[in-house]
Amino acid sequence: MGQRLRSLLRALTARRDFESGMAEELQFHIEEYAQDLARSGMALEEARRRARMEFGGMNSVKSECREARWLHPFDELGRELRYTLRLLRKSPGFTVTALATLALCLGANLTIFAVIEAILLQPLPFPHPGRLVTIFNTYPKAGVERDGSSIANYYERRGRIPAFSSLSIYRFGTAIIGEPGSTERDQITAVSPDFFKTVGSGPALGRVFTDAETTYQTDNVAILSNEYWRSHFNADPHVLGKQIRVDSFPKTIVGVLPPGFRFLSSESQLYLPLSSRLEARASRERHSGGNVIQMIARLKTAATLAQAQSQIDAQNTALERYDPQAKMIADAGFRSLVVPLHADQVTTVRPVLLLLQGGVFVLLLIGAVNLVNLLLIRANGRVKEWAVRRALGAGRRHLVSEAIVETTLLAVAGGLLGLAVGAAGVRLVVALGADRLPLGTHIAFTPQLAVVGFAAAIALGIALAIPTVWFTLRLHPANALQSEARTATAGRAAQALRHSFSIAQIALGFVLLVGAGLLGVSLQRALAVSPGFQPDHVLTGQISLVGNSYPSAAAGVTFIERLVDELDRQPGVLSAGVAVNIPFSGRNGKSAATVEGRVLLPGESERGHYSYGVDGDYFRAMGYSLKAGRFLTGDDSRRAKRNCVVDEDFARYYWPHTSPLGQKLFQGSSAGPESEAFTVVGVVGSAKQAGLTDDTAQGAVYYPYRYRPDSNIFVVVRGGLQAETLRVALQRVVKRIDPELAVSDVRTMDDRITASLLTRRSPALLGGIFSGIALLLIAIGTYGVLSYAVAQRRREIGVRMALGARPEQIRAQFLSLAMRLLFGGTVLGVIGAWLTGRAMQAVLFHVSPHSAAIIVGSASIMAVVSIAACLLPAQRAARISPMQALAEQ
Amino acid sequence: MGKTAELLPGTLDMLILKAVSLKPLHGYGVLLRIRQISGDALDIPQGSLYPALYRLEHQGLIAAEWGQSENNRRAKYYTLTAAGRRRLREEAAGWKRLASAIASALNTTPEEV
Repeated sequence: MGQRLRSLLRALTARRDFESGMAEELQFHIEEYAQDLARSGMALEEARRRARMEFGGMNSVKSECREARWLHPFDELGRELRYTLRLLRKSPGFTVTALATLALCLGANLTIFAVIEAILLQPLPFPHPGRLVTIFNTYPKAGVERDGSSIANYYERRGRIPAFSSLSIYRFGTAIIGEPGSTERDQITAVSPDFFKTVGSGPALGRVFTDAETTYQTDNVAILSNEYWRSHFNADPHVLGKQIRVDSFPKTIVGVLPPGFRFLSSESQLYLPLSSRLEARASRERHSGGNVIQMIARLKTAATLAQAQSQIDAQNTALERYDPQAKMIADAGFRSLVVPLHADQVTTVRPVLLLLQGGVFVLLLIGAVNLVNLLLIRANGRVKEWAVRRALGAGRRHLVSEAIVETTLLAVAGGLLGLAVGAAGVRLVVALGADRLPLGTHIAFTPQLAVVGFAAAIALGIALAIPTVWFTLRLHPANALQSEARTATAGRAAQALRHSFSIAQIALGFVLLVGAGLLGVSLQRALAVSPGFQPDHVLTGQISLVGNSYPSAAAGVTFIERLVDELDRQPGVLSAGVAVNIPFSGRNGKSAATVEGRVLLPGESERGHYSYGVDGDYFRAMGYSLKAGRFLTGDDSRRAKRNCVVDEDFARYYWPHTSPLGQKLFQGSSAGPESEAFTVVGVVGSAKQAGLTDDTAQGAVYYPYRYRPDSNIFVVVRGGLQAETLRVALQRVVKRIDPELAVSDVRTMDDRITASLLTRRSPALLGGIFSGIALLLIAIGTYGVLSYAVAQRRREIGVRMALGARPEQIRAQFLSLAMRLLFGGTVLGVIGAWLTGRAMQAVLFHVSPHSAAIIVGSASIMAVVSIAACLLPAQRAARISPMQALAEQ
Repeated sequence: MGKTAELLPGTLDMLILKAVSLKPLHGYGVLLRIRQISGDALDIPQGSLYPALYRLEHQGLIAAEWGQSENNRRAKYYTLTAAGRRRLREEAAGWKRLASAIASALNTTPEEV
C-alpha cells in the first residue's frame, strides 16, 4: 500500500513529467515497430500507419495507464473542479451571494462559539477541574442571595467535611506594590494556606503559605505570579527571600507561581496570606461574610456534590444550635450552598450566551435555506443541459458528484472567508466588552476553533448538496428534453420544496427578529430606569487607606477631611465626598440594621440592607435627591454625632406611617445600649446598587464614615464640566496628601452604569446585527424565488397577456404568491416566537415575553422586506411583452 | 506467423515479469521478448501492454529508468525488483501446479476413474 501511495504521489506531484514520459514511451514503441516493419520491406510511411493502427487508440491506452496509477479519480475531480469554477465565474451574482452568505453565517457562528467555548466549555485550567466547588451562604428571605463565606466558616469546616479533600478561602483585592515614589496598584489575591492544594497547582519555585502566616503579625510573606516575577525581578532564580513592599509593609517572597497560572478571571500579580484576627475565627462570627471572602473546595474522588451538601447542612444545623440568633438566621432562610465552581462563575452569562448561540444558529439555518433555494433554482436552470449530457452517456454518479463538488467548493471558499469574519468577530465582541465577562479573558480565536469552523463548513457544503442531488436523481432525461418540461412533475415538486424553504426562512427570520426585539426593548427599559442619583459629571475612584499611616479609623477621617477640603478647592469641582461603597461598584454586600423598639412580626425575617459609611459632601457629589430632613456631611463625621440617613425603601419598610426623622437604629442584627444608637436625620431617594435592573427594594442606611469605616474608600467628585477632566486633579491631590497612596479604578459614574449593562447591551446589539443580516438574506431569498417563478412562467404570462390579461393581474398574481409565503412564514414564526419568548424569560427586563407590540412590529418589518423583495420581480412579470415571450422558445 | 494462442486472464503480468527478469527491457522489447520466448505462440495486443507495465510499476514489482536504446534513442527500461522476483516465483509455481493438475485431469482415462 505504501509503495502504491508513493507512486501515486510521485505521479501527482510531477504530473507534467508523467504525461510527457508516457507520450514519449508510447511514441518510441510505435517508432520501433514501424522501423521493424520497414526493415521487412514495407515503405516507411505505410509502416508508420500500420504501426499506429495495430497499437490501437492512443488516448484509451493513456487513460488506462493513468488508471493503473490511480490517477483517474484525481483527473476526474480536477475536471469537475475546473468545470465548476467556470460555471461559478459565469454567474458572479450567485457566487458572490453564496460566498457572502456562507462567510457571514459561519463567521457569526464561530464568533459566538469562541465566546461559548472560552466561557462555558473550556474547563478551568486545573487538574480535575470538575471536582472544584464553591460554597457560599445565602439568606434568601432577608433579601441576601449570596453572602460569600466567613473566616469562621473556613475554620469550622476545614478538615471537618469528609467529602472534601481540601477546602480554602480567597479574597480578591488590590494593593499598592513597590517602594515609595515608584508604587503601582495591582490586583492581588489573599488566600488561605491550602488554596494552592485545593486548586491543584502551586508555586513552581519556593513554597506555599503556612498556617502560622495567617495572623496580621506574621503574614509578611508573598507569592509572585510568574508574569510579575519576569517583569519585575527579571526572572531571577534567587528571588526567594527577597523583600517586596506591599501597601508599604515589607513582605518576604516565598514562592513563584508557574507560567499561565490564572485563578478564574483574576489578573493577580501577587498572592498574599488571608490573615484574620483570632476573634473572627470564632463561631459567633460565622454569619459575617459580606460577600467579600469566597470559599472553594475540592471533592474527594468518590464524593458527590450531594454528599458534600448534606455534610455542610448537618454541620450548620449542629453549629446553629448554640447560636443566640439561631431563630433569626433560620427565619432568613439561611443555607450554605455547594455549587460546582465553573458553573457558579458563569451562571449569570450562561442563558445570554446560549441564547446568542441559538440566534446565530438560526441565522445559519436561514443562510443555508437561502443557498439551497438558490442552488435548486440553478439546478432547474440546468435541467436541459443535464438531460442532454445524460442522453450522451454521462452517468448519474457523474452529475451527483458534480453537484457535491460545486457546493463543497463554495463551502470551502465561504468557510475560509468565514474564518476571517470569525476572527474579526471575536475582536469585535472583545471590543464590546466580552473579555469583562466572567472567564472572558480566555476568549480567543484559536487554531482548534479554526479547524472546527472549517470542518463545519465542509459538512455544510455536503449538506447543501443533498436537495440538488435529490433533484438530479429524480430527473427524467426524456421529460426534461421536451420543450414544456419545466411544468413537469419534477419541476412542480422542486417548486413546492423551494416555497416551503422560503416559508421556513421567513419563519426563522421572524423568530430572530422577535428575539432581538425583546432584547432591545429590555435594554431600552433598563436604560430608562433612573439609578436614583445624577450620574452625569461624576468621577469616582478607589483609594486603599493602608500601611503604617492609617492604623485607625480616626487617621482615615483626617485623611478624608483633607482630601475633600483640597478637592473642593480645585477649579471645576462642585462638590466632593467619600463613601465606603458606591452604586455600581460591583460590591453588593449587605448588612443588618436594627430599628429601636421594633419587634419582628411573625414570619418576618431579619433583612440585609446596603450600608454605607460616608464623609464629605457625598450626597451632593453623587446627586441624590433629598426626601426629608438633611444630608449627612463632613460635619457629622468630625463632630462624632451618631446621626444617619436612610433611603426611601428603608423608611417605607420600617416606618410606613410615621416620619423616620428622629427614629433610632443600631448597626448589626441586635439593639445595643442607647449610646450606640443612630438618629435618623434625613431620607434620601433610593439608589440602584447592584444594577439598573435590580428591582428589589433592599433599603440602605448611610452612617458617618467614622462609625462605619473601611480601609477601602471611594472618592466621588462632581464637576461642572466633563467629569473626565477632573481625573488629573484627583490623582494630583491624593499624591500631594500622601505620596504612598494611589487612586485606582478611576471611572465616571456614567461609565460604571454602562459597564453594568454589558450583558444586555452586547446581546441586544449582536441580536440586531444578526436580524439585519437575516433580513438581508431573506430579501435575497424571496427575490430569488420570485424572480425564478417569473422567469419560469414567462411563456405562460406571454400567452395570457396576448389573450388580454392586464399587467395588474399578472403583478397581483405574483404578489399573492409572495403574500402566501409571507403568511405561512409568519404563522409558523409566531409559534416559534412564542416558544422563544418563553425560553428567553430569564434575560428579559420589564417586557412580556409575548409582547404583542414586538410581534406586530416584527411582522411589519418582515412584511415590508419580503414585499419589497418581490416587487421587482412582480413588476418585471407585468412588463413582459407577449411578442418577445412567445418568440423566445 | 504460426498459430497464436489467446492469453489467459492474469497471465500477462507473469509473462512481463518473466521477460524483464532475464534482462532490463523497454516496452517494445518486452513485447518482442514474450513473442520470442513463447516461440511466437503468444501474441499480446500492443495496447494492453502499457497499462500492465504501469500497473506493475505502481505495485513496485518492476522499476523503470530512462536509458539509451540500441539505436541511440531515449527509452524507458524496466527491471525486476526484489518484490517482483518473489511474485514471479510464486506465480510460476502456482501456474505449474495448475498446469500439471489440468494436464493430469485431461490425461485421465476411463479405467482410472
